[in-house]
Amino acid sequence: MNCPGHGTPLLSTRREFLWRAGGGVGGIALAAMLARESRAADALAVRRPHFPAKAVRVIEIFCPGGVSHVDTWDYKPELEKAHGKEFDAELGKQTFAGVAGKYAKSFWPFRQHGQCGRWMSDLFPKLAAHVDDIAFIHSMQSKSALHGPAMFMMNSGFLLPGFPSMGAWVTYGLGSENADLPAFVVLPDTRGLPPGGVVNWGAGFLPAVHQGTVIETAAGRPPIADLFPAQPREAEQDGRDFLKTLNAAHAAARPGDTMLEARIASYELAARLQLSAPEAVDIARESDATRSLYALGDESAGPFGRQCLLARRLVERGVRFVQIYCGAENTQAKKIRPNWDSHEDIVRDHGYWGRVLDTGASALLADLKSRGLLDSTLVICTSEFGRQPFMQGKQKGRDHNPGAFTAWMAGGGIRGGVAFGASDDYGFKAAVKPTYCYDLHATALHLLGLDHERVTFYHNGIKRRLTDVHGHVFKEVCA
Amino acid sequence: MRVKAAIIAPRDAAPASASSVPCHSSAARNGRAQRITRSGDGYFALLALLALLAPFAAQAVDFEKDIRPVLRERCVECHGAEKQKAGLRLDARSLALKGGDDGPVIVAGKSAESAIFQRITSTDKDERMPSKGDPLTATQIAAFREWLDAGAAWPETAADIAAARDKRLDHWAWQPVASKQLPVASVQSPAEHLSLLSQQVDTIVTAKLTERGIKPLPEADARTLIRRLYFDLTGLPPTFEEVAAFEKACDRTDHSDQVRSLVDKLLASPAYGERWARHWLDIAHYADTHGFERDQRRDNAWRYRDWVIRALNDDMPYDEFLRLQVAGDALHADRSDAIIATGFLAAGPWDFVGQVETPSPVLKRAARADDLDDMVTQVMTAACGVTINCARCHDHKLDPISQREYYALTAVFAGVKRAERDAAPRGMKADAGERPRLSAELSAVNKQLVQIGQRGLDLADIVGGGDGTGTGKMGAGIGLQTGQQQIEGIAGQRPKPNVPTPVAGDFIDCVLLPNGDGADEIAVSTTGVKVRGVPQTSGETWDAIRNGAIIPQGTTKIGATDYAADGHSLLGLHANSAITFDLTPFRAALKTGALRFRAAVGYGGRPAAGMGADVRIFVDGAGVFLSENVGPKSAPVPVDIALPEGARFLTLMSTEGRDGNIGFDQIFYGDPRITAAVQPALTVLEKAESGRLMARKDELEKKLKPLPAPAKSLVFGIKAEPPPIVKLQHRGSPEDLREEVAPGTLACVVSLKPAFGGGKLTDAERRIALANWITDPANPLTARVIVNRLWHHHFGTGLVDTPSDFGLGGGRPSHPELLDFLAAELIAQKWSLKAMHRIICNSAAYRRATAVTSGLSREGNNAATAKDAANRLLWRGPARRLDAESVRDAILAVSGKLNREMHGPGWRDFDYKEEYAPVYSYKTPDSPALWRRSIYRFIVRTTPHQLLTTLDCANPSNLTPARNVTTTALQSLALLNNDFILRQSAHFAERVKANAATPEAQASLAFAFAFSRQPDTGEKTAAVALIQKRGLTELCRMLFNANEFVFVD
Repeated sequence: MNCPGHGTPLLSTRREFLWRAGGGVGGIALAAMLARESRAADALAVRRPHFPAKAVRVIEIFCPGGVSHVDTWDYKPELEKAHGKEFDAELGKQTFAGVAGKYAKSFWPFRQHGQCGRWMSDLFPKLAAHVDDIAFIHSMQSKSALHGPAMFMMNSGFLLPGFPSMGAWVTYGLGSENADLPAFVVLPDTRGLPPGGVVNWGAGFLPAVHQGTVIETAAGRPPIADLFPAQPREAEQDGRDFLKTLNAAHAAARPGDTMLEARIASYELAARLQLSAPEAVDIARESDATRSLYALGDESAGPFGRQCLLARRLVERGVRFVQIYCGAENTQAKKIRPNWDSHEDIVRDHGYWGRVLDTGASALLADLKSRGLLDSTLVICTSEFGRQPFMQGKQKGRDHNPGAFTAWMAGGGIRGGVAFGASDDYGFKAAVKPTYCYDLHATALHLLGLDHERVTFYHNGIKRRLTDVHGHVFKEVCA
Repeated sequence: MRVKAAIIAPRDAAPASASSVPCHSSAARNGRAQRITRSGDGYFALLALLALLAPFAAQAVDFEKDIRPVLRERCVECHGAEKQKAGLRLDARSLALKGGDDGPVIVAGKSAESAIFQRITSTDKDERMPSKGDPLTATQIAAFREWLDAGAAWPETAADIAAARDKRLDHWAWQPVASKQLPVASVQSPAEHLSLLSQQVDTIVTAKLTERGIKPLPEADARTLIRRLYFDLTGLPPTFEEVAAFEKACDRTDHSDQVRSLVDKLLASPAYGERWARHWLDIAHYADTHGFERDQRRDNAWRYRDWVIRALNDDMPYDEFLRLQVAGDALHADRSDAIIATGFLAAGPWDFVGQVETPSPVLKRAARADDLDDMVTQVMTAACGVTINCARCHDHKLDPISQREYYALTAVFAGVKRAERDAAPRGMKADAGERPRLSAELSAVNKQLVQIGQRGLDLADIVGGGDGTGTGKMGAGIGLQTGQQQIEGIAGQRPKPNVPTPVAGDFIDCVLLPNGDGADEIAVSTTGVKVRGVPQTSGETWDAIRNGAIIPQGTTKIGATDYAADGHSLLGLHANSAITFDLTPFRAALKTGALRFRAAVGYGGRPAAGMGADVRIFVDGAGVFLSENVGPKSAPVPVDIALPEGARFLTLMSTEGRDGNIGFDQIFYGDPRITAAVQPALTVLEKAESGRLMARKDELEKKLKPLPAPAKSLVFGIKAEPPPIVKLQHRGSPEDLREEVAPGTLACVVSLKPAFGGGKLTDAERRIALANWITDPANPLTARVIVNRLWHHHFGTGLVDTPSDFGLGGGRPSHPELLDFLAAELIAQKWSLKAMHRIICNSAAYRRATAVTSGLSREGNNAATAKDAANRLLWRGPARRLDAESVRDAILAVSGKLNREMHGPGWRDFDYKEEYAPVYSYKTPDSPALWRRSIYRFIVRTTPHQLLTTLDCANPSNLTPARNVTTTALQSLALLNNDFILRQSAHFAERVKANAATPEAQASLAFAFAFSRQPDTGEKTAAVALIQKRGLTELCRMLFNANEFVFVD
C-alpha cells in the first residue's frame, strides 16, 4: 500500500496516445485537438469526479496560530473540576515552551445549543446559532507542535514544505468551473501571510496552474498581482493585436507545437481575467443587509467579514476552492497577537480573534444558506493544532497542543449537529478515534466525489497523493 | 534484506522423533482438539485427526517427491516470486526457512510448532491454507508432518538459489556500465577524436530511428543553432553581431567546424558556470533563508553558490565536485574551498524553531530526523538518482533498498549539523591582508593600556572567556544552568530560580535566574550575599549570558552607536538572568583598590512598541541602580557606578518587567568596563607611553574600520561532531528506536561493498567512505545520472525521463547503449563535464531543426510526429521554453541593462524587516545592483519572487531535477504588467532610440535585439504602425511577450 508504484506522467501518455490513435485523422486537425488538450485552461477543465459529489466547491477557514479547543468547541466538564491543579511537570517539559502551569477551565462558559444540543463556548454567540449545521471533529491531532511544520501538514499532509496543498489537489482532481477566474483562490488576512507563507497554498510538484492565487482583500488594492500595469496605460488593444499577429505567424511556421497555441490562448484568458477579477471583488452592489451581516464597518471584525463575503462571491462565480485566513504571521507583539497563538494572554487574544471569527464565519454560513449554496459548498474551519488545557508556566495563556484539537465542517454532504471522536477528559490528547488531517482531507475529497487514493501524481519515484499512505473518510459526519 | 536473512533452522538438523518432544506435542494436540470441537467442521476435523494420527508411510518422506510438488502446486501462487502474502515465500529454501512477517513458519523437528502445519490443518476456514481450493489431502498433510518432524530436510538446489535471488537486483540501473570502446585510430587530433565521439552518439540515435522508420529532420539553420547554443550553454542570447558573424562563417565553411569552435568559446565563457550552476542548485534546493516559520536569512550561503559556479567554470572533475560537496571539510581541512563546498549538505530548508528554539526534546528529535532525511535524500538523489527517502519508514516498495540501509546512510551524516561557520581552515587566519595583523596589534595595545591603567577590563570579553583585554571568544556565553561556556543556543536552559551557579575562573562568581516570587531576599553570590526587592518573574529565561548579541537579538545599537561594531563590546543579558563579578581579580589586574563600572544600558529586542525589561545593578547586595521598563523607545541609560575599595561583588540583573513575559526582553550593556576609580597618576614616561598607545589605538581602529567585516569568511555550511549512535526508527518515528545501525550504503550496487566499517568510525571517515563509494568508477549510478542530467538540460528530456529516479519506479532509458556510452566516456575523460557538453553539442542529434520550416515535408513531419510525438527518439531538435531565470536575464540583455558582475552576496530586490518571522517585501528592481544575473538572486524560501515563481522557477523547498513548464494566464499578466517588465521595456526602447532615428529603423533594430533577426515586411509594417500609434516602448513590451522571445528553437 505504501508508496504506490509509479505511472508514466499523465500528459505525455495522453498526448502520445492521441497521436497514435489519430494517425489517420491528419496532422492539422490533430494539432488543433492537441492545442486544446494542452491549453492551460484545459488543465483546469472540469473533470468528472470518481463518484457523484455532495459538494462541488470548498471554502476553508484557516485559523493560524492554534485555536484553543477547550475554550471554544470542546466542552470539558472534568477540566472545570481540575481547574487550579498543577499539571504533570515532566509531561509539561515536552511542550513547545517546555513548562506547564496549572489546569485552567475555559475562559468562556459553555452552553448547549440548537436541536442537537452540542456545546459551544460563549466566545461564539453567533456561530452557536448554526450548530445544527456543523459537524465537529474533536479528535484531531498534528505531528508537530511547531507552527511551520504543523501549518504545512494541515494544508498538504506533510510536515516539510514543498508538497501540494489540498486546494491544489482539488483543482488538479476536478478542474475549474469558471475559465475566467483562478480555480484556487487564497484570501489572506489583511495584516499579512500566515506562518510559512505562500508555501501553504503551493502546488508543490503539481503544475503551477494549481497553486493558490492570492486575491488581495484589503479594500482599494488591485485584487491580483500584475493584473494591470502599475501606471495606468492607454488602450492595450493595439499592442495585443500586434502580439497576436506576431505569435500567429510564428506558430504557423511550427505546426504541431501545442505549447505555442497554449501560450497564445493564455493571453486571451488573461484579458478575460482583467474583466472578471475586478468584478468578482467589487462589493459595491452588495445590499446593506449583506454588508451589515458581514459587519464590514466594524474595525476589528470588518476585514475578516470582507474576506468571507469575497469567498461567497468567488464560489458563486465558480471558483472551486477558496481558503480564508483568519490571522496572519506570528510575532510577539504585546497588544494583540496577529493570530491565535495565545501564549501569554488568552483572554485578550482569543477574545479578539473569537469575535472576528464568530462574526465572519456565522455570516458566511447564513449567507450561503440563504442563497441555497450551502448544500453544495463544503465549509471547513480548522487550525494547525490546539492549545493546552493548562496554563503556560505562570503566563495567562496556553501553549501549543498537537495532541488534540477540533476542526469542524458544514455544508455540502455534511451531517450537521454531530461530532466525530473525542479528546480525553481534559482536552490534552485525542482519546476516541484519534485522527489526523489525512482523514479530514480524505473526507473533503470524498464529499467532492473524489477517491483520495486515486488522485495521484508521479514525482521523484513515487505516485504522490494528498493523504500520503493514510486517510479514512469520516463516514459518521457524512450525510 | 531477504536474500541475506539468517536461516533459523539448522541446515542439517538431526531427525527428531516425535517422542523426543512429548510435552510440546501433546499440549499442542490438546489445543488443536479443542479448536476442532469448537469449529464443528466435522468432516475436515476428522480428516485432520486421521492425518495427525496416521503415519505417512513406512518410508522416510522425500522432499523433492512429496513436499516440493505440493508447495509448488498449492502454495507458491500466493507465496512465491509474484506475490508474497504475509511476506512469506515457499519457492526457495532460504526464504521458506526465514519465514514471513510473523516469523518462521517451519520449525525443524516440530511439526506442531510449525505455523505451516498449523495452518494446513486448521479447522478455521479463515485460517486454513491453502485459502483457495480444497484443503490438502490427508496423505499430503501426513507427509508434511513426517517431513517436519524428521527435521524438515530441504536440500538446496539450483532452482532454490535462483528463486531466492532478488529479481529487483537485475534492474538495469544497478548493472555495471556496458561500454563499447571506440576503435581509436593511432593518430588523432583532438578535433577528430571529438568528432568520432559525437558520431558515436549519432550512430546509436540513427540506428533506432531507422528501426522505427522515422526520418530525422535536417540540421537547423545557423541562426537557430547559435541561439540554441547560447541559451543552452550560457543562459543568455547572442548579440545580433555575433549571430551575423556566425551566419557568415557558416556560409563559408562546414557548419561543424563553426559549431565546434562556438561550443568551445561558450564553454570557456564565465556565463557557462552561471547557467549550469542554476541546474545544480535546483537539485540542491539551495536558498538564502532557512524556510519554515521563522525563515531567517542565511547571509553567507552565497559562498557555496559561488563555489558551484567556479567549479563548473574550472571544469572541476565531476567526481571531485561530488567528493568535496559530501566531505570537503573532512578531506581537505586546510582548504577554504573544500569547506565551502559542504554548503551542499546545508543548502535545504532547516526549521530553526524545532532545531533550536523549542526546549522540548521530543520536538527537537523530530526536527533532527527531518534534517538528516533532507541531507541523505539530497546526496543520494542528486548523485545517484536513488529515491532513498522512500525507505525511511519501511523497506522501499519498489527498489531493493531496505529501511536499514536508509538508517545506515543516516548514520553517515549523524555527526553533521547545519551551521554558519568560518570557511577559513582551522589554525589559519580567516583572511589574508591587513586585518589579522592590525587586529592582533590592537589587542596588544589594549593590553598595554590596561596595564598602565588607561583602559579598564571589558566585562563582555570576560563573559566570553577572556581576560578583559579582548582575548575572549565573540558570541560565546555562559549558560545559567551549567555555569559553563556555551556557543550553542538556548538548549536546556531550565535552571532552578535563585540558585547561584558557580562559574569557573577568577572574574565571575556566579550566574543565576532571579525570581522574587514573594521571597524577601535572594542570594546572588556563592558566598551568600543577598539582595532585596527583586520582583516576581515568570521563572523563565532564554539563551546564555553572552559576549555579543544574544539569540535572538533585534538590535545592537544604542542611539547611533552600534556596540557590535569594531572597537566596541556588548554584554547580552536576556531576562530573567543575573551575573555576579568578583572584583578581587580586577583589582589585581588594574593594580588599584577603588574601581568604577561604566557602560551604556540598552534594549536589544525587537524594535516594536510595548516591550520592556527591568535593569538592576547591585554592589555587595545593595541596590545601586534601577531602571524599569527599558524598551525600544527608552533613552540611552549611562551607568557609572563606584566600586569602593572594600566592595567584593558586582551583580548585573535583567528581569522581564511588568508584562510577565520574557519574549523579546533582551537587555545589553554597551562597552561594559571596570576601570580604576581615579586614573592613577602617571609618571612622565607612562604618560608619554599612554599617549603614544592611545594614538596608536585610534590609528589602528581607523585603519580597521573600512576593511571588510566580519573578518571571517563565513559560510552557511556544516559543523561536524562526533556522531552519536544511530538506531533504526521503527515506522520512521524517532521515539520508537530499534536496533543500532552502522554507517554504510546500498547493497544493490553489487559492484561495491556497502559496509563502511562499523559504528566506531569518525564523522570524517564516514563521509569520506560515502564520497568514495559514490565516485568510485565502479559505481554505475553516478556517471549515468550526471550524463543523463546533462542530456536532460540539452534536450528537455533525459534519456531517462526521471532524472532523479533511476530505480524500478523510474523511466527506462530510451537509448540504453547511448547512456552507457556517455557514462563510460565521462570516466574516460577524467570526469570532465565540459567534454560531455562537447560530445553532445557537436552531435547531429542536437543540431537538428525543430520544425518543418527546415525542409522536411509536412507529411514527413506528421509521420514522425505520429510515431514519436514526444521526440524521445530524437528525430527533431530540442525546442523548449526558456526557464524563468533565462527569461529575466534575456530581458536584461536585450534592454542593455544586464550587469555582468559575478559572484558575491546575492542581490535583494526586497525590503527586509526584522520580526520574529522576518518580513520580505518585494520592490521593483530598478537599479544596476539589481540587474545582475538571476543566479545571484537572494532566494527567500517562504516569500518567493512573484515574477520568477509565476514563470515556474524552482521551489527551493523541493529537489527539482526538472522544471515544470506551465502556461497560465497569470504568466501572461506578469509579462505584460509586472513593473520590472514595463521599466525594462522603457530601457529597451531607449537603447533602440539611441541607435535608430526613424520608426522603420527602430522596428528593425528592436527585432534584431530581441530575436537576432530582421523583421519581415509584414512584421515591419505592423511594428512601425504600433510605434507610431502607441510608442516604441509598447513595441518593446510586446516583443518581450512574444512566443519567439520565450521559446527557443
